[in-house]
Formats: sequence, structure tokens, C-alpha cells
Amino acid sequence: MAENTLALEAEHLRKVYRRGREEIVAVDDISLQVKKGEFISFIGPSGSGKSTLINLIGCLDNATSGSMRVGGEEVLSNGRGLSEAALTRIRRRVFGYIFQRFYLVPTLTLYENIVMPFAFFQKPGGAADPMEIIRFLDLEKRLKHRPGELSGGEMQRVAIARALVNKPEILLADEPTGNLDSHLGQEIGGILRTLNEKEGVTVLLVTHNPLMAALAQRTITLHDGRFV
Amino acid sequence: MKKISIYQIAAKNLLRKRTRSALTLVGIGLSAWVLASLLGFNRGYDSALKKDIDNMGFQVLLTAKGCPYEAATLMLKGGTGLRYMDETVVADILSQSEVESVTPMLMQAVFDPERGDSGAIDAYLGIDPATYPQMKSFLKFKQGGWFKDPDAHVAVLGYEAAELEQREVGDKLLIPDKNIELTVVGILERSGTQDDGTIFVPIRMLQKEFGQQGKLTAVGIKVERKADTAALENRLYELPDVQVVSMAQVKNTIMSLVATAKVMVLSIAVIAILISMLGVINTILMSVLERTQEIGIMKSMGAMPADVFRMIWTETIILCLLGGTLGLAMAFSLAKVTDLLIRRLLPYTPTGSLILISPGLMITTFTVVLGIGLISGVYPAWRAARVRPLESIRSEGD
Repeated sequence: MAENTLALEAEHLRKVYRRGREEIVAVDDISLQVKKGEFISFIGPSGSGKSTLINLIGCLDNATSGSMRVGGEEVLSNGRGLSEAALTRIRRRVFGYIFQRFYLVPTLTLYENIVMPFAFFQKPGGAADPMEIIRFLDLEKRLKHRPGELSGGEMQRVAIARALVNKPEILLADEPTGNLDSHLGQEIGGILRTLNEKEGVTVLLVTHNPLMAALAQRTITLHDGRFV
Repeated sequence: MKKISIYQIAAKNLLRKRTRSALTLVGIGLSAWVLASLLGFNRGYDSALKKDIDNMGFQVLLTAKGCPYEAATLMLKGGTGLRYMDETVVADILSQSEVESVTPMLMQAVFDPERGDSGAIDAYLGIDPATYPQMKSFLKFKQGGWFKDPDAHVAVLGYEAAELEQREVGDKLLIPDKNIELTVVGILERSGTQDDGTIFVPIRMLQKEFGQQGKLTAVGIKVERKADTAALENRLYELPDVQVVSMAQVKNTIMSLVATAKVMVLSIAVIAILISMLGVINTILMSVLERTQEIGIMKSMGAMPADVFRMIWTETIILCLLGGTLGLAMAFSLAKVTDLLIRRLLPYTPTGSLILISPGLMITTFTVVLGIGLISGVYPAWRAARVRPLESIRSEGD
């Protein structure tokens, strides 16, 4: 496969934790290629290694061994990773993150939470217009509200908007509907799907929910840190 | 497109736990108040003491040997303890190049059996009407004015002496034992100095009536503005049977007495600053620990360790700047209350304002408080900068 069509390529990723004398293999020899514009869901029981894998892919953690390239840049070579500063530079350029919890800053308004990434970094010539995202996510009526005044669905939409303002190439969503009811979960799922189909954003989704997983073009099941 | 800066995020973070931020701010404010008041006291006390000494009108006092502090001698021995110098000493003093002017004085004391239950000493200060009023030009009259004739039987009363004797201008005053009648020609306003309790009379009249012709108890010497006072004092010591009392020495003696009190207040200020520093560290560190996940998410969004450090450091500095402003406002508005408290604590205080809050002092206090902020913020900011994004999401489950 031509390299410029790949958003991400991982080979023999392995992550081992130590708990006392015990070694826990969270991710075991996983190789993966993600094409640009692809929507992949990762599904599996608790402890299967889904979140650990997505953390490795998202440069939030270093693998014990293996190699990985993100956007054509080598971030891991035979278990040797980049420095924290180098990983931050890749994170801010390539990834957007959505988590189960929303992690909004309670003292900032909805708008301020959405544009907060710009306080740290604004992709030169590549950042999105926040108001466009706000309209797309139907949040324009609540711009001056603080997180405490928003519903769970609205808070997750704010978190999605925040993840999108720097126009990420890859959107990582780790159980984004875990704290929402099924109706709101479907709504968030629909947003992810639209972002992928209409905006061409690569989406990697971790979920327990088979209905959510079914939104993706490809579903990968994990068990004991391995693809099944 | 409206954006938000790291500094705005930091400022808004302080509103998260308002009570905690407010208490920390008050703590910093109190220590800034103590610091500003202490610095203001150091400056104010020196300035007020200098003003009091300048108000004496002369920088050097020459007395007969064995009688350096005439008021004390009078209290202990009455009139019998006084010692005298010959009037010719005035010419010797005037021959010194550093001397601008001199004023001769004769102190006499009489026991008044009618005063109080068991009598008291009345002190009369004979002064030269040609030189003394010029040297004490700051003395203001409540009634009347200075006498002109050095032989006249007249008197000028200090504010408290007039109150005690219950006399007004035109009233008569009798010197007990001598049966000499004086006419009151002037009453001074309150000056806050020992002049308030003095009865001033013409020197030649006093010398004649008390049989002390050609004798003096003291000579006040005003020194040229740029003259070397120490050199003059050394030469005056060579005169026979005289004692030189330098007002600079008096000032130094008082300042060394007050130094102990200043050290105590300084210790309190240092303790207050240390406590407020610990308060700031505690507040910001707690805030960092509570926000570990949030900081981790910021890092996942692209915040560099330096960005996080700057954000947390800014929070500390904002707290210290606001606290410093509060403390300075308190020091400025409560200066009179602080003045009263210090007057109760110290054995001697000059008459002027003891607390002087100047723009320079405000800048110094602000700089110190800002320094506290910068130092106190380093550890919490460093801890926050070290937060790894993964720490914040590890609890997400797997």
C-alpha cells in the first residue's frame, strides 16, 4: 500500500506493565495499518487492551517494543520512542481526542472551552473556524454557558468541538458515549460518522457498544491484548 | 475569531475555589500590610526623630561639665545640682568657622512648696531674646510674642506650663522664694517637645535676680549646613570644663534603643511572609493536584510543559499581585491605626507621623510580594508541568 495513503502504520506493538513482580501484557504483538479517511472501531471486553492500544497509537504512551509511523513520521522504532516534547508536537498536529469523561474546564464558558487548544497551539493556516464547528454541532445557543449548565450530550459535543478546532488528521474516541444514554450515544455516533464521511477525518473509535462499532467501516475485536 | 490566552485560563482558574483563593489572598495581603508598615515605620521613625531634633534649633549643646542633661539633674537634685560655665565661652564658640550662630541659656530652679501635695520644682530658662527666637523660629505663639528686653521682668510660657499655671498674657507670675513678679507676655502653641513645659525668661534678668551674673548652664550651637559637625565637636571638647552633647549622638542613642523593637517587628514580618508563602504553595499545589486530569488533557491537546508551567505560575503571581495591592491599600488606609499601636508599644516615640508610605516603599513591597509569588509558584508549576497526559486518562478503563 502506498505510504502517502496511510494515516498510521504500526508493527509488532507490545506494551508490558509491571505490577510488583507480575508482568502484564496489555498489548501483544499488534500490527495495524490505518488508511487516511478510514473509520475503524475497536471492540472487546474490559481489559482486552483497547484503550492501551489507542493510547499507544495516539502518542499518549510509549510502547515497550515495536515500530510506528504517524503521518509519515517515525514515532517509534524498535521500541525506541520520541521525547515527550516531540510527542506533544505530533499530538498537536495530528490527533484530536475524545474521552468518556469530558474534562471541560468548569470556570470557562462553552466557547472558551472549545477554543482552549488555541491557547497552546494553532495549526498554521490549518485551524478550523470554531463558529463553523459550533454550528455543525448545534451549540451556538449556549456559547456563554458554563459546563455545569450543560447536559451530558452537550458536554460531549463541546469536547468533540474542542478536539476538532485544530483540524486533526486522526480523531481518537475512547468510549465517547460511555457516560451517555443510548439516544445521546446514537447522536454522538452520528456526528462521528458525518465527520468521517463529509470532512474526511480518520476516526478510531473504542467502544463496548456493538451498535456504535457498526458505524465504522472496519471493526477490530481485541482479546487479551491481541486482535481476534 | 475571539481566542483565550493561557493568562485568562489561569485567572479564571482562581475563581474555581473562591473561598480558598480569597483566604490565600487575605493572607498575602496581611503579610504585605505588615511589610509595608514595617518599612514605612523604619522610614517614618527616622524622619520624625530627625524632625524633632531639628526642631530643637541647634545641632550641638554645650553644658558645664557634670551637667550634661540639665532636666534630669533638676529632677534629681533641684537647683543645687546645676553647674555653670563662664559667659566668655560664647566668644570661643563663635570663633569656630563651622558655627552659624549660638544662643546662651541659663537654667534656674526653685522649689515651690505650694505646688501639689508636697511641692515641686519650678524651672526657668533664661534665654537671649536676640538669638533664641531666631534659632527656634518654628515655635508658634498661641497668645502674645517674644520679649525684646533682656533685662525685663517678663515671661513666655510653654503650652503645658501655661495650662499648669493657668496664666494668660498680661497675668502676673511669682517666682517662689525670690518674690520676683513676672508679667506673662506670650504663650506658645503645643510643639510636642520639652519646650511645652518651659517658662522662658530674659537671661540677663535671671542672671541678676539669682546672682549668677556672667554664668551660663548651656549654649545651643547651630552649625553651618555643610560643616563637619564631628570636627567641631572634637575642638569644643578642648574647651575647659564643658560637656558637648551632640544631637546626632542623642539620635543614635534613641535609634539603638528602638533597634530592638525594629528587630522584633522585622521578625514578625518575616514570619508573616513565610506563612503567606506556605499558604500560596498549599493553595496552588492543591489546585494542581485537583486538576491533574484537566492538565493532562491540556497536554494531550498540545500544551507543552512550559505552557503548563506558565499557566500555574501566572495563577500564583495573580494571587500575589492582588494580595500585594490589598496589603498596600490596608497599609495606606490604616497607617494611623498602626501609628497608634506602635506608640503604645515603644517607650519613646517622636511627635511626627511614624509610618511613611512613599511611592518607593510601595514599589519595594510590591517587588517583595511579587518575589514571594515567583518563588512560591515554582514547585506547584513544576509539578503541573511534569503531569503526563496518560495519567489523566488511565482511569478511563480498558
